Amino acid sequence: MNCETAKEQLVLLAYGELTFDEEEALEQHLDGCLDCRADRVKLERVAGLLEQGEPVAPAGLLLRCRRDLSERIGAERSGAGRWLSAGDLWRRWVVHPPLWARPLGAAAMLAVGFLGARLVPADSPALARMGVPQEQPAVVSRVRLVNPDNSGRVRVLYDEVRQRELTGALNDDHIRRLLLTAAIDPADPGIRVDSIDLLKQHCSNDIVRKALLNALRSDTNAGVRLKALEGLTTFARDPETRKVLAQVVLTDDNPGVRTQAIDLLVQNKQPEVAGVLQELLRREENSYVRSRSQKALSEMKASVGTF
Amino acid sequence: MEAGSYASARSITAMDEAALIRAAQAGDQDAFERLVRTYDQSVLRLAMNLLRSPEDAYDIYQEAFLRVYKNLRNFRFDCSFHTWLYRIVTNLCLDHMRKRKVRRTESTVVETSSGPVDLLDSVAEERAHGDPQRVLLSRELKGKIEETLGGMTARERMVFEMRHYQGMRLRAIGEVLGTTEEAAKNCLFRATQKMRSALGAFV
Repeated sequence: MNCETAKEQLVLLAYGELTFDEEEALEQHLDGCLDCRADRVKLERVAGLLEQGEPVAPAGLLLRCRRDLSERIGAERSGAGRWLSAGDLWRRWVVHPPLWARPLGAAAMLAVGFLGARLVPADSPALARMGVPQEQPAVVSRVRLVNPDNSGRVRVLYDEVRQRELTGALNDDHIRRLLLTAAIDPADPGIRVDSIDLLKQHCSNDIVRKALLNALRSDTNAGVRLKALEGLTTFARDPETRKVLAQVVLTDDNPGVRTQAIDLLVQNKQPEVAGVLQELLRREENSYVRSRSQKALSEMKASVGTF
Repeated sequence: MEAGSYASARSITAMDEAALIRAAQAGDQDAFERLVRTYDQSVLRLAMNLLRSPEDAYDIYQEAFLRVYKNLRNFRFDCSFHTWLYRIVTNLCLDHMRKRKVRRTESTVVETSSGPVDLLDSVAEERAHGDPQRVLLSRELKGKIEETLGGMTARERMVFEMRHYQGMRLRAIGEVLGTTEEAAKNCLFRATQKMRSALGAFV
C-alpha cells in the first residue's frame, strides 16, 4: 500500500468503514510509515475539534416543534374540504343573508345564545378557551382492582392522571417541587434543561443543590449537565460538590462538560485537585481538555504526570 | 468519531416499529406520535447542524413530519422507515440550502430587543465563559468550521453531517441520498480533507 491510498483509507478507518482485510493492510502500512501515523493523529485531533463546532438547539425548541406539529396535524385531521363547504354556507347565510332571513336570524342568534349557555357542560374545552378555569378530564393510568358483586354492578379501583396548570413565583414551594420533578423527567431533555435553568437560581436551597448534583452526575443529556454545572458555581467550595466534580472530570463522556467541571474544580486549588487532573491527563484523549488541565496544573505549579 | 443520536433513535426494535407504522397508517394518533418521538430529536439535530439556524430547523421539522403524516399510507416498507424519513428531511434541507445559496444575502445576525445578535454565538460557547483567551480561540475555531462547512457542496456536507454527527453508516447514507456507498465514501473523503486542511492550524 502506498501513502496516497493509506491517507484515503485513514478517513474510513476513523469512521470504522474499512473491512477487516483493508484495516489489516492499513495497520501494516502505518507500522512502517511515520508520516501516515502523524496524519492519523492529526485526523483524530481534527475530529475532537469538530465536537466544539456543533450548534446546540436552544432549550425549548424541541418542545415547541412537538407542540406546533401536534396542532398542525390536528388541523390537518379536521380536513380542508369540509371547511371549504362550511365556509360557503357561512358566507351565504351569515355574512350576506337574504333580506327576508335577517330578522329571523337575529332572533335565532339570541335563542341559540341562551340555549347554548344552558347546554354547555362545565368541563367543556370551549370554556377553557374563554378563560373559565376548569378541571381537565382525567386519564386512567392503572386499574388496581375489579370487583363484581351479585347485583351485576362492578367496583373498580383505579389511579388517574389529571392535567393541571399552576402559576407562581420561583420561591413558591409547589412550583419548586414541580420543577424538581420536571428536572428528572426522562421523556423530555428540553423540559429538564428549562427546569434546571430555573432551579439553579435557588441553589442555596439544599434540596435544589442535591437535584443539581444528581443531574450533573446522571443526566443523559449534556445540555442538562452543563446547566447543572452553571448552577453549582457558587458551591465550588462545598466538599460534596467537589467530590462529584472530580468524578465528572474523570468520567463524563462530553468534553464540554469535562472542561466546565475542570474550571469549577480549579477555582479552589486544593491539593487533591492536582491528583485528579494528573489522572485525567493519563486517560484524556481530547486535545482541548488536555490543554485545559495542563494549564490548570501549571498554574498550580504541579507536575503534569504522576511519579 | 461516532455519534450517538442515530443509535438512540434506533433503540426501538424493528418489530415494534413495523407495528407502530401499521397502527399509524390505520389512523392511530398515539402510534404516530410515538413514531415522531422516536426520531424527532435526531431530525431536529440534523436540520440544526445543516442549516445552523433554530428557525430553519423548526421549519424543516414541521414540514418533514407533516409530509410523513400525509404520505404514511403510501409507505410500503420497501426501505426502513428511518431511510424514508431521512430522505424527506435531507431533500427539504437540500432545497433550503440551494435557496439560501441563491439568496446569498442570508445572515445569521438577527435583530432583537437588545440589539443585533449573531445566532452562531449560541453555538455551545457557554462553557468558554470567563476565559477571554478560550472564548477567542473557541470563536475562531467555530468560525473556521463554519467557513469550511460553507465551502463544501451540499452533498459533501450532508454525507459529512450524517456520518460524523449522526453516526450513520455510509451504506445507509447512500440509500438516503439515492446514491451508492462508493459515492458517499468519496463525498466523505473530500469533506474530511477540506476540514482537515482548514483546521490544520488548531491541532
